[in-house]
Amino acid sequence: MHSRLTGVSYVLPAFAVLTLVLFSPVFYGLWFSLFRIQYGAPTDFIGLGNFARLFEDPALGGTLRRTLVFTSFSVAITIVIALALSVWIHKLPPKRGFVVQMIVIIPWIISTVVATLLFRWVFVNDIGLAISLARAAGFGEIHLLNDPNSAMALLISVSVWKRIGYAVIIILAGLKSIPDDYEEAASLDGATAWQVFRMITLPLLKTPLLLVTIVLTLSNINTVETPLVLTGGGPGSATRILPIEVFDRAFVTYDLGSATALALVMFFGNVLLVLGYVRLAKWKA
Amino acid sequence: MTTNPSTPDRAVKPVHRRRLPGIAGILATGLFLVLALLNLIPLVWGVLTSLKAEADLFKFPPVIFGFQPTLANYERVIESGFLQNMQVTVLYCVGTVVAALTLALPAAYAFDRFEFPFRKTLLLLVVASIPLSLGAAALLIPNYIYFTRLGLTNNWFTLPLIYTAHQLPMAIWIIKGTLEGIPRELDEAAVADGASHFDVLRLVILPLSRSALGAAGVMAFVGSWNEFVASTVMVDNPALRPVQPAIYNFIGYFGREWGPLTASATMAIIPILIIFILLGRLIVSGLTKGSVKG
Repeated sequence: MHSRLTGVSYVLPAFAVLTLVLFSPVFYGLWFSLFRIQYGAPTDFIGLGNFARLFEDPALGGTLRRTLVFTSFSVAITIVIALALSVWIHKLPPKRGFVVQMIVIIPWIISTVVATLLFRWVFVNDIGLAISLARAAGFGEIHLLNDPNSAMALLISVSVWKRIGYAVIIILAGLKSIPDDYEEAASLDGATAWQVFRMITLPLLKTPLLLVTIVLTLSNINTVETPLVLTGGGPGSATRILPIEVFDRAFVTYDLGSATALALVMFFGNVLLVLGYVRLAKWKA
Repeated sequence: MTTNPSTPDRAVKPVHRRRLPGIAGILATGLFLVLALLNLIPLVWGVLTSLKAEADLFKFPPVIFGFQPTLANYERVIESGFLQNMQVTVLYCVGTVVAALTLALPAAYAFDRFEFPFRKTLLLLVVASIPLSLGAAALLIPNYIYFTRLGLTNNWFTLPLIYTAHQLPMAIWIIKGTLEGIPRELDEAAVADGASHFDVLRLVILPLSRSALGAAGVMAFVGSWNEFVASTVMVDNPALRPVQPAIYNFIGYFGREWGPLTASATMAIIPILIIFILLGRLIVSGLTKGSVKG
């Protein structure tokens, strides 16, 4: 009995903080979203009015589509490159492998604001390093940030560049946990390197790969900083994705009602992903 | 949760130890160089830009090294109060690390060692909160309206409180993972000798979980230093503003003056780079053990 009380009292302070900052706002937000919001305060009860207004907005479809494009491309490219890098790093002698790992992880430890700012400086119109190089190489004048497609491509590149390091670390940990004998036995039996990778390594990496996919999807779907700093959602609305939409509604057009509604919709999308994450995490716990 | 049974790297896989010969070696070196270039160019270019006078900035083709370095950009950034932003951020981050570890250690200890009501459910909530606390955009608005309602915005404790909540779940998870490896016989022996649970925590568990505390602490520091969204929305008093929103504001303030912009970016990176160089291993182990945050 004594230890039961001790247990509760030891987790209580942590949960007090989590409840205040993470859990209760969700419930407050749900209640808040059912009211007409004026000057940041709830006035009349309007039920799902804020949500209805949100889904009547003809621009939302485009925003959703762009979010989907941005997220799926970012995640897929990150994982493919990270997987190749991890397999390569894994085969390096430990010391060199560690150095490479450290270099790969550098963009990840830098804040998204700073990383995106520096990236933008490389690609900025007229005087960016990349633009000057392209001009010197005879490509003429290109303005990557002015064209809708290339702006989106740049947005995806920043995201990939920023997050590869994270994916490499997790996949590498997965690779290290695969016993050597498996791959050795297969190569002794005459399997080619590709067959070993395809039939043995890849299936054994299922859990870390799924975990990375979920976390990358979550972080891309929620990134305010990358589009805010790189393009501000432009040109036009070419890189306007959901997080910017929420941010703008709340703090630029001051429509807190629909911003809260949209944030809650996103939140429940996040919860679905988190459920997948928890299943995978529990598998290990 | 990602696997790695914490075998030290150098003890594994003698099979892959062979040196890469000839063409493969050259390819590997080439790949390494490309990687290093891609990852470092934006940084190095940023640092070089920050040292240039405005005239050197607009030259075509761009000057890479042949310019007279100047600290003028740094002076302008410092005049705009960036040192205060950095100072406040250091305080926030240290506060967050201390608070997160102080709250996480007992919680992890209880989750690993005690039976209590709702233990499983609460642990599940902790695990679910790890990725959820990166749901910047989704949680931001509910968080903002709730904190505004309670009058908790724009205070000295606002941001450290939020950062602590963001970092806590992962800290609990990292520390719990390590506690699982500490034999229960140690606690039991101490209790048999008359120690209280708190003594066990302080005298047995704490010294043995130092590496986990280090990893969790470093992750909490870096995560808080780099946080942008809550930092932007929750405080608007310049004296309370941390580095990330300060840099974002500079974008509006300095516009196309890339000298001061890159100078502020460089200053914001320096502490992180120092931590990285000194404690890079802890970051890798924290990431692996905590296994979250894209």
